[in-house]
Amino acid sequence: MSIIVDHVNYIYGEDTPLAVAALKDVCLQFPDGQFVGIIGHTGSGKSTLVQHLNGLLKATSGHIYFNGEDIYDRDYDRKKLRSKVGLVFQYPEHQLFEVDVFSDVCFGPKNLGLDRREAELRAYEALRKVGLEEELFYQSPFDLSGGQKRRVAIAGVLAMKPDVLILDEPTAGLDPKGRDEILSQIKRLQTETGMTILLVSHSMEDVAEYVDRIIVMNKGSVMYDDGPREVFRHYKELEEVGLAAPQVTYILHRLKEKGMDVDVSATTVGEAAETVLRALGRR
Amino acid sequence: MEIVKTSDLVYEYIRRDEEGNVEGITTAVDKVNLDIRQGEFIAILGHNGSGKSTLAKHINAILSPTEGTVWVDGMDTSQEDKVWDIRQTAGMVFQNPDNQIIGQVVEEDVGFGPENMGIPTKEIWERVEESLRAVGMYEFRKYSPNKLSGGQKQRVSIAGVLAMHPKCIVLDEPTAMLDPSGRREVIRAVRGLNQVEGVTVILITHYMEEIIHADRVFVMDRGRIAMEGTPRQIFSQVERLKELRLDVPQVTLLAYELKKRGVELPDGILTEEELADALSVYC
Repeated sequence: MSIIVDHVNYIYGEDTPLAVAALKDVCLQFPDGQFVGIIGHTGSGKSTLVQHLNGLLKATSGHIYFNGEDIYDRDYDRKKLRSKVGLVFQYPEHQLFEVDVFSDVCFGPKNLGLDRREAELRAYEALRKVGLEEELFYQSPFDLSGGQKRRVAIAGVLAMKPDVLILDEPTAGLDPKGRDEILSQIKRLQTETGMTILLVSHSMEDVAEYVDRIIVMNKGSVMYDDGPREVFRHYKELEEVGLAAPQVTYILHRLKEKGMDVDVSATTVGEAAETVLRALGRR
Repeated sequence: MEIVKTSDLVYEYIRRDEEGNVEGITTAVDKVNLDIRQGEFIAILGHNGSGKSTLAKHINAILSPTEGTVWVDGMDTSQEDKVWDIRQTAGMVFQNPDNQIIGQVVEEDVGFGPENMGIPTKEIWERVEESLRAVGMYEFRKYSPNKLSGGQKQRVSIAGVLAMHPKCIVLDEPTAMLDPSGRREVIRAVRGLNQVEGVTVILITHYMEEIIHADRVFVMDRGRIAMEGTPRQIFSQVERLKELRLDVPQVTLLAYELKKRGVELPDGILTEEELADALSVYC
């Protein structure tokens, strides 16, 4: 069920001399509850793709089905779709505007037409889910640190109770600890609530650490769609399209060349340590 | 001689409420003493809110010290009549390339700085050419900047600073918004400037693997310099860095994990090659 992308094409500036095909015959399925990473160099079509999933962009041709219904049907409720498929843009903290954190997070649910009580309940729950301390709830969002602001922005989308959460580079510009905190909270959301998560990222290390499946976009098409180990096995091809594998992948390949019997498909530091220790006969 | 020197530098942000009354004072930089010599490659690390960017803005005279003094090439940055000389001596590159490019054509954009300085036309073109060559963007000189990738745009921004013939370039998270190949391009260009052109580089970043070639690393925390040393000295202290919300490159972390579990390895391994060599005795 969940989301099916069926032969979707998208052309920016169609019928103008500047027409650019941003998505070319993209076919994808997103089952419920998966944590999916989407990677690709700048301009590969990642952001264009995710903006189709909540109906912000309309495909030039092709169909998108959300829970079995074609979102391009004339009587399809696209406003509801946007509350079900939540999109957190890059640098979402630039969209904070209310006088305090709590009101900012209430804005979305209030806009859905919920009464004040329900909106506040949801805001409270959402802020707890992103791990923001309660003493910050009534501060101005502009007095918070970068990582805290970003969590408030994510809470604003969570308060709409989406089934699918899409995050476009949620960790850009955060310090390493801030990156880990946000990503592990997102991971926890997925395991605890069964929410589907789509993570657009430029960090191969983060993707390798957290997701179940990776979609690699290149020039508007899907280049790979597989588990992290399988995708990063193509590290040479990934480099040709402006990407890379996590640093540990390169280390393991070097060790293999030197004759050490390591499993080169490991993609995280933990996995790499295991395979090296095993090769050294320490386990 | 020092190109940048600070003596007991303090900078305080005054927070005001809506009526303009002072609510509180945040000390963003707290008694910092720096001596940066001409030609050095300096990296500054620190979590969000640690004071890195505030410190960097002093070197470009965007901010003026609350207490203490900053000298750039012997000029006191609090002297207003020196501001333009200081900005020509120490150029600055920011995070988002889209906010820094103004020209319609790459070479015009790069020529903007020297033109503003009143350089004769012939020399402007010479400077544009050499700057674009230095960052590997010469073949794109006739392109429109909006047709370039993030890494290419950021290299154009660097060329724009370089065309003003600065002695020092301060880069504030220049790779935060880039994909892996964009990051590699920019870091390679920055190293080239330092090694070939002898420009002093001050690089602020959250990507630990970008600074392994720096001469010296400063780690900031709560406005102070918390650690100082070579990359190897800094990255040998994995636990201390984690306390400061930072990290080490994956290769260093892998070596650290292996060592913790009984594999004999030197401290502070920085490159894939070093780790592979150190482990090859076991092959």
